[in-house]
Amino acid sequence: MSTAESLTPVVVRLKLSLLRNGLRQSAGRRAAYISSVVVVLLLAALQFLGLVALHGSEHAASVTVILLAVMALGWAVMPLFFPSGDETLDPTRLVMLPLRPRPLVRALLVASLVGIGPLFTLSLLVGSVIAVARGAVAAVVSLVAVPLALLVCVALARAVAAANIRLLSSRKGRDLAVLSGLVIAIGAQVVNFGAQQLGSAGLGQLDPAAEVLAWVPPSSVIGAVDAASEGSYGVAVARLAVSAGALALLLGAWSRTLTQLMTSPDGSTLQAAEPSGTREHGSGGLGRLLPGGRTGTVMERSLRYAWRDPKTKAAWVTSLAIGLIVPVFNALQGTGSIYFACFAAGMLGIQMYNQFGQDTSAFWMVAMTISSTRDAYVELRGRALALLLISLPYATLVVVLTTALLDDWATFPEALGLSLALLGAMLAAGAWSSARFPYSIPQEGYKNVAHGQAGLATFSIFGGMIGAALLCAPVIALTIWLNVDSGGDRWTWLLLPIGASYGTLLTLLGLRLAAPRTAARLPEILAAVSRA
Amino acid sequence: MVNGAAVRVQGLWKRFGQQVAVAGVDLELPAGKFVGLVGPNGAGKTTTLSMVTGLLRPDQGTVEVVGHDVWRDPVEVKARIGVLPEGLRLFERLSGRELLGYSGRLRGLPGAEVDKRAAQLLDVLDLAGAQHKLVVDYSTGMRKKIGLAAALLHNPEVLFLDEPFEGVDPVSAQIIRGVLERYTASGATVVFSSHVMELVESLCDWVAVMAAGRIRAHGPLAEVRGDSPSLQHAFLELVGAGGRDHGSHLDWLGGGAR
Repeated sequence: MSTAESLTPVVVRLKLSLLRNGLRQSAGRRAAYISSVVVVLLLAALQFLGLVALHGSEHAASVTVILLAVMALGWAVMPLFFPSGDETLDPTRLVMLPLRPRPLVRALLVASLVGIGPLFTLSLLVGSVIAVARGAVAAVVSLVAVPLALLVCVALARAVAAANIRLLSSRKGRDLAVLSGLVIAIGAQVVNFGAQQLGSAGLGQLDPAAEVLAWVPPSSVIGAVDAASEGSYGVAVARLAVSAGALALLLGAWSRTLTQLMTSPDGSTLQAAEPSGTREHGSGGLGRLLPGGRTGTVMERSLRYAWRDPKTKAAWVTSLAIGLIVPVFNALQGTGSIYFACFAAGMLGIQMYNQFGQDTSAFWMVAMTISSTRDAYVELRGRALALLLISLPYATLVVVLTTALLDDWATFPEALGLSLALLGAMLAAGAWSSARFPYSIPQEGYKNVAHGQAGLATFSIFGGMIGAALLCAPVIALTIWLNVDSGGDRWTWLLLPIGASYGTLLTLLGLRLAAPRTAARLPEILAAVSRA
Repeated sequence: MVNGAAVRVQGLWKRFGQQVAVAGVDLELPAGKFVGLVGPNGAGKTTTLSMVTGLLRPDQGTVEVVGHDVWRDPVEVKARIGVLPEGLRLFERLSGRELLGYSGRLRGLPGAEVDKRAAQLLDVLDLAGAQHKLVVDYSTGMRKKIGLAAALLHNPEVLFLDEPFEGVDPVSAQIIRGVLERYTASGATVVFSSHVMELVESLCDWVAVMAAGRIRAHGPLAEVRGDSPSLQHAFLELVGAGGRDHGSHLDWLGGGAR
C-alpha cells in the first residue's frame, strides 16, 4: 500500500470528521448548519426546476452561461472571505507531514467535492444542461461538461485559497485583505446598477455578454452543450477544450503554490530582514503646514493614519464614496433632493466615532501623555481638526455639486448651513461617544468590531447618530419653518451663517464634555480598545 | 532622588472576574537602582507594572512614584516616568523616526529638541538604517528598541520595562543593556520584569520575586539569592517548584527512532 493511493480517502475522511466535530461543538451551530443545508437544498431544487422550465426558451443559453459565470466567481471569492471555513483548505496544516504534491493535490481536490457548495453547483450544472441540451450529441457532451465544470470551480477555489495564504503571509497582502470589504461594497453598487438596467431593458441585454462568456471557462462547457445542440460540433469541442485547459492550468498553479507554501518560510520573516528603502515622501511637508504643539502632532498622526492604516483608510474611502454617490447619483437620476447633500457631512462625521478604538492598544502612548482635562481636550480637538481638514471642503464640494446638478442655487445656503450644523453635531456626538463607549477594532480581516462588543459598537454609532440628529433639530426646525412660512423665503440665506455657527458651537461643547470623561477614564478606555 | 524610594506600592489588588491577578502587593523600590521584578508567567508582573504606571486601575491600594500618587497626581507622575509595556501595540503605521517625533511632541518637548534626541537614540540603538521604515515591518528586537527609545526620549526619572528582552536577539539585547546601564549610572531608576533569571542576576542590584500575585521575596540581589548557587535555584525554592522529577515517565524518549 503506497501513500499515494491511500491519501485520498484519508483526506476525505478528515474532512468529514472535521465537519462532524464542528457540528458536535454546540447545538446552535448544529441548528445553523442544518437550517442552512435545508435552505440551500430548497434553493437548489427551486433553481433546478426553474432551469428545467427554461428548456426551449430562446434565452436559455444566455441565462445559464451567465449563471455559471456568477457561480464560478462565487467559488473564486468565497475562500477569500471564509478562509477558515474549510480547514482542509489550509495546506499549511499539513506542512509537517511527508506528502508529495501530486497525490496531495488529488486528495485535496476530491475532498473539496464533499459539501453543500459542490452539491448546489452540481444541481445548477445539471439544471443548466437540461435547459440547454437538445439531441443525443448534446446529451453526450453534457456528460463530460458537468463534471468538468464542477472540477474547474473547485480547483479555482483551491488555487485562489492557496494563493491567498501566500498573500496573507506578507504585510502588504494583509493590508489588501482589509480593503476587500470595500470591493464588496462597491461591487454591490455595480450589481445594483446592472440589475436596474436589466430590469428596464429585458433579458435580451444578456446576449452579448453571454456570447463572450460562452468561451470563458467554466461557462464554456454550457456553451459547448449549446453548440452541440445546434450542430456546431467543432465549436462544442473547442469550448470543452478551453475549460479542460483551464482546469489543467489551475491545477498546475495550485500545485506550484502548494509546493512553495510547504517548502519556503513565510513572507513575514523575510520582509523584516530586507534592507530598508527610503520612505520619506508624501507627508514630508505636512508637519510644517500644521499648527505646533500637541494639536499639530495629533493632526499629523491622524492624517497619516487615514492614508497608511488599511482599516482607517477603508473607513475613509467608504465615507467619501457613499457621501458623494448618494446625493450625486440621486440628483443625476432626477429623484434627488438638495438636502441629500447632507449625507456627505453625516458620513464623514462618522469618522469621529470611536476615535480611540481606531488607535488600537497603541492608545497607551496617548494615555501616558494625558494627565489633565486640558490635555484630553487638545487631543480630541486635534483629531476633530484633522477630520475637518478633509470633511469641511469635501462636504461643501458635495453640496455645490448637488446644487449644480439640480440647478437650485436658491436653496444652496440652507443646504450648506444644514450640512455644517450636521457635521458639527456628528463631531460633538462622536467625541463624546469616543470617550464614553470605546470599543476595539480588529486589525485583521474584514470585521470592524471585536467579539462581544457588537452591541456596544451599534449603540455607540446609532445612538450617536440619533443624538446628532436631535442636536441638529433646532436648525432643521428653523429650515422647515422658513420654507413653510409665506415670507420665510427671503430669510433662508440666514441658515448658512446660523448653521455654521451652530455646528461650531456644538463641536466645541462636545469636545468640552468629552475631555473630562476621557481624562478620567484612560485605563477603562485602554482596556476597551485593547481587546482585539 | 537617590535617597528614598522611587516607587512605593501599598496593598495593591487586582481581580479579573474570578481570577485574582495581584493579591495584595506591598513594595518599596529604591531609587537609582537597576530593579528586577521576576516571576513565572502569570505571576502578575505585567498587571502590577500596568497599575504602577497608570495604565490599569487597581481594585485597591495606592501607588506612589517619586513621591507622587499615580492616580491623584498624574501631571507630576506621567512627566517623570517612561514605559515600555508588553503586549500593547505602538503606532505601527508610523516610521521609527515619526514615532519618536510623535511621542516626544505629545509630551510637550520642543520639536527641534525631539528631533535631535531621536536622531541620537536611533543611532545608539542601531536603528538609524531602519528609521524610515514603518514600525509594522520591524522585527521583535527592533520594536523593543524603538519602544525603549520612545520611553527614554523625555529623560524620565523612572523607567518601567515589561519584558524588555523577550524575543530579542543577543546583539539587540546587548545594545539595550548598554543603554540602560548608562542610564542608571546617572542616578535614574530602571524597573524591569523578566522570567529569565540569568539576565536579572547579571543586570540587577535589587530584585523582587513574584509568584501567584504576591511578592515572595525582595531586597538586594545577594540577600534574595542567600546561600543558593544562583538566583535560579533561589527562585525555584521560593516558588516551590524545586526538585520536581518526571524522568521515569519518559523512559522511551531518546536512543533512536521507534
